[in-house]
Amino acid sequence: MYQQIVNAIFIGSIYALFAVGYTLVFGILDILNLAHSAVFMLGAATTYTLVVKYGQVFWVASVVGIAASALMGLVIEHVCLRPLRRRQAPPIAALISTIGLALIIVAAVEQGKQGSLFSWLWVDGANSVAFPAGTIPNPTWHVADLSLDASKVVIIPVSIALMLVLGYVMRYTQIGRGLRAVAENPRAARLMGLDVDRMITLTLVISSALGGLAGILFGVALGDISPYIGRDNVEVRGLAVIVLGGMGSIPGAVIGGYLLGLVEIMALVTFGSSARGGVAFAALFLMLVLRPQGLFGTRLRERI
Amino acid sequence: MNRTRLFGWLVATLLVAACGSTGGGGGGNANSYSGKTIKFGAVLSITGAGGVYGPQSRDGAKLAVKEINASGGVNGAQIELTVEDDASDKAQSQQKAQTLITSNNVLAFLGPTLSNSAVAVHPLAESLKTPVLAVSTTGIHIVPDCKFPETTPCKYVFRDSLGEETAIPANIKAYAADSHPKTGVLLVAQDDKFSSDGGTIVQKTVAQYNIDLLKTIPFSKNDADLSPYVTQAVQLKPDVIFITSLGGIPAKIMTAARNQGWQGQFLGGNGFNTATVSKQAGAAGTGARSASAWYIGNEFASNKDFVTAYKNEYSKDPDQFAAQGYTGLKILADAAKRANLTFTDTAGDRDKLRAAIETVNIQSPLGPFQFTSSHDVKQTVWIIQMDGAGGFKLVHEVKAS
Repeated sequence: MYQQIVNAIFIGSIYALFAVGYTLVFGILDILNLAHSAVFMLGAATTYTLVVKYGQVFWVASVVGIAASALMGLVIEHVCLRPLRRRQAPPIAALISTIGLALIIVAAVEQGKQGSLFSWLWVDGANSVAFPAGTIPNPTWHVADLSLDASKVVIIPVSIALMLVLGYVMRYTQIGRGLRAVAENPRAARLMGLDVDRMITLTLVISSALGGLAGILFGVALGDISPYIGRDNVEVRGLAVIVLGGMGSIPGAVIGGYLLGLVEIMALVTFGSSARGGVAFAALFLMLVLRPQGLFGTRLRERI
Repeated sequence: MNRTRLFGWLVATLLVAACGSTGGGGGGNANSYSGKTIKFGAVLSITGAGGVYGPQSRDGAKLAVKEINASGGVNGAQIELTVEDDASDKAQSQQKAQTLITSNNVLAFLGPTLSNSAVAVHPLAESLKTPVLAVSTTGIHIVPDCKFPETTPCKYVFRDSLGEETAIPANIKAYAADSHPKTGVLLVAQDDKFSSDGGTIVQKTVAQYNIDLLKTIPFSKNDADLSPYVTQAVQLKPDVIFITSLGGIPAKIMTAARNQGWQGQFLGGNGFNTATVSKQAGAAGTGARSASAWYIGNEFASNKDFVTAYKNEYSKDPDQFAAQGYTGLKILADAAKRANLTFTDTAGDRDKLRAAIETVNIQSPLGPFQFTSSHDVKQTVWIIQMDGAGGFKLVHEVKAS
């Protein structure tokens, strides 16, 4: 049982880190950025390619992977969101345009084979691959009856530290205050002299960098990198997490991530492994019916 | 009188010449084949979950084409092989097969790699009356009932790969005789036909050998995080963990189980039988057993020659999937040689080829090769185990019953 709780905490950390990026954009813009799962995958894929194809050290590759994800945040803003915002398109238009971008990113990586147009980005097509053994030291520690893989253990402090930093930035810094102002009332923020577009761009960049990092940690800890890791493993679960925690709430996303990890494992232990997949949806549904604002969701201005 | 006799000789000569040119005896017509091209196809999983098997099947088949064309082709006709990657996706697999049949006009094709895709591709080939030879699909209801639950035998579907219904029980039987395990847990990818069929076979087989199946743990092949399932299995402390799954998943399960301190025996099916999986599992896979259609160390000439040629061509050892791909193409070529093809009537040629495939009798890397009346393969089964370094060792040889 304790081993299962450890498993839940590991996977919960990844859900949390992924969902924080999701919820950040929702908190500021009131739209769901469905390209976030593709950015998650892009972070992992770029890092893998740099290590395996270009022989880079893992740490350098990770930094570039996160930078590539952040850059994709810029693309999301300038290609999918800003033009629609200019035309005052409804939020559903932005939702669709981010889905479109996600499909393009996944397809581009999927096409990355030896000799193809995208072989500089990825060479394994639809294959699932893992970092070669020895890319990072990954001993397994045995504590009491528990076995702890170093690559998974490291996720927990990294996730918590990042989320604390983000929380601090949002609450106590000039930038954070600016972002919160935009979240509350973009027009008023603009009238007060804030560069709203710049704030939104910044949000997308931070969110995407976090998504990319979550993808890299996922790839390292679970030994699974493919064009579909975002779509198959975190996209819907990330949605469930932010609904559980409260749309737009950063602490909500963190708690929601760990909660979903735990609930999934409990379902698996109690009802059998087939129940695991359905739990995210059941939790999402129940929360929407019983407490639509989620655990930490209150009024709009307190979202972030 | 002389003129009549001369005329008689002339007619007789013409008749003899005509008989010669129609070939007779099923030997094909060397003149009408010469300079022609025989189009074959292959729908294989070069990428995706089946990407650890498909590339070897492709390489095996390509090697066979190269050898045949270099030695004068099929009665003088050259073989052209078009390989399509279905990315291990059922819908793509069907679409690629459709293209091969209707646009590329292939006479026959190999594949698909995965049983999951075969349930879509084989009925299509059957309805379009195009012979298809499965070179790696080992699930149940592949041959002859390709349209299961319909039970009408499929006339155009053949298989040269060893079905899991033969392989898994042979493996369990051999291990039960060696070590008398008492308990087992089954980890099965439930959303993939090959894997779930394998799971069903394990469930049906274990009781015969007094193995108590403590739990069946289904999971999704798309689940990246397998630790909770492995923890569930390991905590029951079984003697054996059965794994029926594809691609890198068996290797991930083995690594996670060993990391969690479990020391028992892994048993599996065809999903283990490639160097890629053995290499990914590394030391964690040492001793993991499966039944194979082929063994690299077999000394008979048709295998030794194949192994040497493959190593020369690709600078690496072949595996079971390479041997089956190579054999598959040789089967099609042998049938084409005897089918008396016209090269003008594709539908008629496909039918002639289908009939000729039924009577194939060749020496192959898998051993002497023939089809059963239900278009399946009957052959010796080789029980092998991973050596911890990306290869396999032979444990037992189980003759065809």
